[in-house]
Amino acid sequence: MSSPAVQIRSRIPRIADAAVARARLTVVPRRRVRAARVPFVTLVSLILLGGVVGLLLFNTSMQQASFASTALEEQAANLSARQQTLQMELEKLRDPQHVAADAQRLGMVLPGSPAYLNLSDGSVTGDPAPATPDNRVRLSAAPPVKPPSIDPRPIHRTARPPEGTPLGPDGSTQPGDTGSGSATNGGSGGRNEPHKNHQSQQHQNQLQNH
Amino acid sequence: MARTSQPLRPRSNLRGAPALRLRVGFVLIAMVLSFFGARLVQLQGIDPGSYAAMAAAEGMVNVVLPAARGDILDRNGEPLADSVDGLMVVADPYMTIDQAPEIAKFLARRLDVDYFTTLQRLRTQGSRFEYIARRVPSTLATDVVKAATEHGFKGIATRRDPVRDYPAGDVAANLIGFLGTDEPLSGLERTFNAQLAGKDGSARYEVGGGNVIPLGQNTVTKATNGADLHTTIDRDLSWYAQRVLRQTVEDAQADSGVAVIMDSKTGELLAVADHPTFDANAPLESPQADLGSRAMQDVYEPGSVEKVLTLSALIDAGKVTARTRLTVPGSLARQDRVIHDWFPHGNIRLTLAGVIAKSSNIGTVLAAGKFKAGQLRSYLVKFGLGQQTDIGVRGESAGILPDPSLWTPQAQDRIAFGQSLSVNAVQMAAAVNTIANGGVRVAPSLIEGSATTEDGSVVGTDTTTTRRVISESAAHQMALMMERVVDPEVGVAPAAAVPGYRVAGKTGTAQRVGADCGCYDGTFTVSFAGFAPADDPRFTIYVVVQNPRNGGGGGSVAGPAFSKMMSYALRRYAVPPTGTRPSHLPVVW
Repeated sequence: MSSPAVQIRSRIPRIADAAVARARLTVVPRRRVRAARVPFVTLVSLILLGGVVGLLLFNTSMQQASFASTALEEQAANLSARQQTLQMELEKLRDPQHVAADAQRLGMVLPGSPAYLNLSDGSVTGDPAPATPDNRVRLSAAPPVKPPSIDPRPIHRTARPPEGTPLGPDGSTQPGDTGSGSATNGGSGGRNEPHKNHQSQQHQNQLQNH
Repeated sequence: MARTSQPLRPRSNLRGAPALRLRVGFVLIAMVLSFFGARLVQLQGIDPGSYAAMAAAEGMVNVVLPAARGDILDRNGEPLADSVDGLMVVADPYMTIDQAPEIAKFLARRLDVDYFTTLQRLRTQGSRFEYIARRVPSTLATDVVKAATEHGFKGIATRRDPVRDYPAGDVAANLIGFLGTDEPLSGLERTFNAQLAGKDGSARYEVGGGNVIPLGQNTVTKATNGADLHTTIDRDLSWYAQRVLRQTVEDAQADSGVAVIMDSKTGELLAVADHPTFDANAPLESPQADLGSRAMQDVYEPGSVEKVLTLSALIDAGKVTARTRLTVPGSLARQDRVIHDWFPHGNIRLTLAGVIAKSSNIGTVLAAGKFKAGQLRSYLVKFGLGQQTDIGVRGESAGILPDPSLWTPQAQDRIAFGQSLSVNAVQMAAAVNTIANGGVRVAPSLIEGSATTEDGSVVGTDTTTTRRVISESAAHQMALMMERVVDPEVGVAPAAAVPGYRVAGKTGTAQRVGADCGCYDGTFTVSFAGFAPADDPRFTIYVVVQNPRNGGGGGSVAGPAFSKMMSYALRRYAVPPTGTRPSHLPVVW
């Protein structure tokens, strides 16, 4: 590349040597400009100061965030514990045993036989029957049977009234006299008419006595 | 600056010759550096580990991130066992010893703990850590500790202690099992512990004043929570079955009872009830013997329920039909003994349906005489007797189906009506369910989807297998025959009927083998197995009561329980009556 250029230059005629010499470029002497020191120092100081302060603030804010996160975490733990405890209580309330006990307290029983009402034509399938107290499911275990040494059988004695005891108007003795004879009252309910039941009991005792 | 100040330094030689200054300076520096070096050797050369540990311990916190234990759920997603964040309340006796009586009184009142035990613990000499109460719900524990601090009591603190809660108490407790203080002790909790437990994670970070230091060292390994275990149990149905079963067992003054409720089509177990059972929240209050699953672990002789399998196999083999006529004598002398029926009779003429309806041993033995050698046994094997059901319950007994070498004609006579072989309740329910499912035995399952047991086998509905045991027509004939059992006129178990529905079933009253003598001890196992609706079965229910002392048999003890459970199940799953004509197979000829 360089050799053809040299050939070309050698062929150029030397003309206006003086003018060329005059027009030749010379290096301009370097101008020594002293930049103002104050702004630079100020800038650097400001950057340094800003950096330090910024770092401090950043650190402080991170510390603050850390405090906040600790407090919030504690709160979250408390709330989740509370939620779980409530959930546990809810599960206890939803326990079929609990629901059934509440329902029975309200007098509800499970229906005996399933029956279906067809809504489209009003027909009934199945064998609808009213639920009765017999449908009641026993919800709790029967109490344990105690051995006879702990739970001795009651002793029943029939006392004969002493001679000459005045008899009541209906022929029975006074209630106090036959107190121990009530063993015959086995399993009869008689919750609705206790008085009447008591009287019939007395009659029964009377029958036993004679 | 330096340039301007240099000329101003006037009397430098007042500080001594530069060479001297340098020497002194170097000596000083060398001394200081050699101290540093010595200290460095001390720190790094001699026992560097302990210093590193001390440095790490300073403000470094290691926390275990607990994995949440998976729940055990029923088929509707209701929890049978779930985990709740709990806390333990602990005391530092060193700090509590002075105020022990006051603190004990306070804790006894608030936490429902024993006053004297607590007092003793608060006064323990030389201890710095005593449990006061374990597995306390978090809110209660934190409230109590807060109140204690307000009262000025020192030395009471809380630690993490997850609570395993069984919301339904004893419902399916025999299957689910329970957790000990730190590990599962029985049931599904133990069998599927690997799945339920998960893996604890850990966190390690620096704290200052109780707060995490930002930009400090911080490594977290996340905890892997345990996966839930889905079962096929229906919590409400299971509860009801358990209550009915308990009432039945108590009223019959029996030893124990089992009830199995199975979906006829899929083999999913909706309830496996046991009585006596235990409260999973307080397992230690019940005797050890009640903590397992009798339905799976106890075997017994099934008695007449087994006639269903014998006779349906006989029909399938083409030897008899439901209308086959038999003349049944009052007693039947076989090689080694005389066989009787449960009711005295002279020569009666029963059809095969009558044999089932009246539960005649003699009729069954006469019919079973038509089997070829080994035929009955191969049928019973196909019905699943003598093999584990492998539903994922621990310690299942396979039952005993006598080996072919012991299968004498005498043994076959007894096996035909359900003695001389033993089964577990789920196995037998699955066998009877074969009839309900049109002759195809579907393997029972307890786990929804699939799960891997402790010993590595995969169980669950995903792995359910089916196999045809008897033909569809044989199963249909047997279902029709079994319907006659609950017939109020001709059957032996009218109490098992569900009004409005066609019910097929079979009673069983078997002699029990005593635990001590290895012989029949005069006690009985009474049972009832059946399904409904008979022409399109949805549920198969099997109720077994061991040793009733009220003189009842399968029809009178287990029958009513079956009826109650069946009507509850049918109503709960809204299964309408099929409305078809009930079976009118002749029982006599």
